[in-house]
Amino acid sequence: MIFQLYKARLKCLFRNKEGMFWSYMFPLLLATCFFFAFNNLWTIESFETISIAYDNEGAGIDPLKEALAEAKMSDGTPIFSITYTGKENAGKLLEDDESQAYIVGSSDPVLYVKQNGMNETIIKSFLDSYRQISFSVHTILKENPEAINQGLMKDVMQFDNFIDEIKDGKKPDAVLIYFYALMAYTCIFAANWGLEEVVNIQADLSNRGARVNVSPIHKMKLFLCNMLAAFTAHSGSLILLFLYMYYVIKVDFGNNLIYTLITCLVGSLTGLALGATVGIWVKKKAEVKEAILTLFVLGGGFLSGMMIADMKYIIAEKAPLLAYINPVNLVSDALYSLYYYDTYERFGQNILILCIITVFLGVLSYIGLRRKSYASI
Amino acid sequence: MIVKVNGLVKRYDKLVALDYLDLEVQEGEIFGLLGPNGSGKTTAINCILSLLKYDKGTIEIFGKPMGPDAYKIKKDIGIIMQNVAVFDELTVYENISYFCSLYIKNKAEVKKLTNEAIEFVSLEDFKNFYPKKLSGGLLRRLNIACGIVHKPKLIILDEPTVAVDPQSRNKILEGIRKLNEEGATVIYTSHYMEEVEQLCTNIAIIDKGKVIAKGTKDELKAMISIGEIITIEAYRLEEAKLVQLKELPNIYSVDYKDNQLVVKSGCGKNNLVPVLQYLSDNNIHFGRVITELPTLNDVFLEITGKELRD
Repeated sequence: MIFQLYKARLKCLFRNKEGMFWSYMFPLLLATCFFFAFNNLWTIESFETISIAYDNEGAGIDPLKEALAEAKMSDGTPIFSITYTGKENAGKLLEDDESQAYIVGSSDPVLYVKQNGMNETIIKSFLDSYRQISFSVHTILKENPEAINQGLMKDVMQFDNFIDEIKDGKKPDAVLIYFYALMAYTCIFAANWGLEEVVNIQADLSNRGARVNVSPIHKMKLFLCNMLAAFTAHSGSLILLFLYMYYVIKVDFGNNLIYTLITCLVGSLTGLALGATVGIWVKKKAEVKEAILTLFVLGGGFLSGMMIADMKYIIAEKAPLLAYINPVNLVSDALYSLYYYDTYERFGQNILILCIITVFLGVLSYIGLRRKSYASI
Repeated sequence: MIVKVNGLVKRYDKLVALDYLDLEVQEGEIFGLLGPNGSGKTTAINCILSLLKYDKGTIEIFGKPMGPDAYKIKKDIGIIMQNVAVFDELTVYENISYFCSLYIKNKAEVKKLTNEAIEFVSLEDFKNFYPKKLSGGLLRRLNIACGIVHKPKLIILDEPTVAVDPQSRNKILEGIRKLNEEGATVIYTSHYMEEVEQLCTNIAIIDKGKVIAKGTKDELKAMISIGEIITIEAYRLEEAKLVQLKELPNIYSVDYKDNQLVVKSGCGKNNLVPVLQYLSDNNIHFGRVITELPTLNDVFLEITGKELRD
């Protein structure tokens, strides 16, 4: 009997076009939008050697020329591909987009760029570093000439790894925060499904609920059956979004995909419990309950960096408690921890808090559902 | 006794929705709960079904106390609500099957009962339709099928014919009669007196949460002074003649307006003949004559001083 009821609920959920759109299609569309919006940032982050022109006419001995030629990524990739030429030709190369900048070498080098961008920023940063190091070298030579023999100069002049990866080949990635927040938002969106299941089972919320309450089936049994159906259907949307992000958009979820999926499923349970709790305890019209949940889920997404990645850091710094009780942030942070950290400490902490919230909301729902007659319907 | 309600009180703050309501429904009858909108019919039904908490009173169904956990009792109850309670995403067949599954564990049995219910409400041609594609009448029939699919011993219908076309209404009433003939006890609430009069073997008239009269329709009609209402198209009737008419035996009210003479007589036979004789003897020309027996509305009117549909 329970399996028949479970199957029927699944049919209801999968045939609900509106629910399907918001749970299955909307996250995919949003992920696609994110992909196109952040595509440029991602392209830049997959670093390629930068073409520059260099004019050192009349500069004499030029340590900058040497520093530019020696600058490398940690994997040995040169940062700059340099064309040594005169000023006029350098300008032409820049104009024809054959180089992204040209530098006029001297004791105070001058940088010419055509536009602003990540590569131009890298060149400028390099020159700033060079100027600072040159100043340090002059100071050392003036005040402690012995340092040359102590190898200090070699250390100071180190331009290897100017652009480097911070930890185990992974950079802190602002773009990933958007995708993780989207995944987290989709998880907690299950709240709407939780609400729907409560509406279908509570006599004071729907006529169907009244009919169910008159039947001999134990309400809690049916509630769990319906929630399981909602969890099944919603998990489908998460798996689809995960596969799309992982295989199509190529979002990096780190190395432990099983833990990533577990995070999503726990997030889905939290969402379902949240929706059920609001459905049972908020004594307002269904529309008001839906609005509360939308506000909560979208607000949670915003605070976890779905619209502005920096928001995640602002909340973590200014209102850490909010970060700990925002389920969207907890899921997003768990995903980020899996990507960024070697250890599972932070991931475990996020999952533990999510589980505590889920159990707490589950208990609240249970207490509310235990009520068997209503004061008014 | 199938249902026994004793001294049921339900208050919403200061509003008393049920005021020491007493009801008794015998096995095999179609029991009508008649009353105007807001009289407390649906509240009474919801309390009987343990959907609503109540302040005082006792409710027994099948001789046992009814409560939210009385699953054995609930197994034998079917409810057809005033508002259609089905899933828009399930077809006619799937809806009926779903609600049957709430009562019956065996899959084959569910299938058999679902098909029987579809046949009972004549929805064979629509079994793969979604509720949104059904007309109002067909939707009501689906609603009924969902409520009776498990073949309950007690069927409660709460205003099942509201906003239903006459053809579907007749079909629904026919169906209820058939269910009763097959052995089900029926509680039928309505504010349509014609339906209750036509269908119910026993009737309780309810107003302001209180039973104001109960009995068979004949017993109810016998409670009031009117036995017959005679309407005659009559011309040039003077006041003095009206006074004389009122003095005829068994006549207790005479009213004349716009050439329409309305004579209300008490219970008894041959009330019409003396009235027509009087008109003839006094050379009062008359035309069309209509005689009516009192309705439940007249009963309600006489007891409460207001129309049933007020």
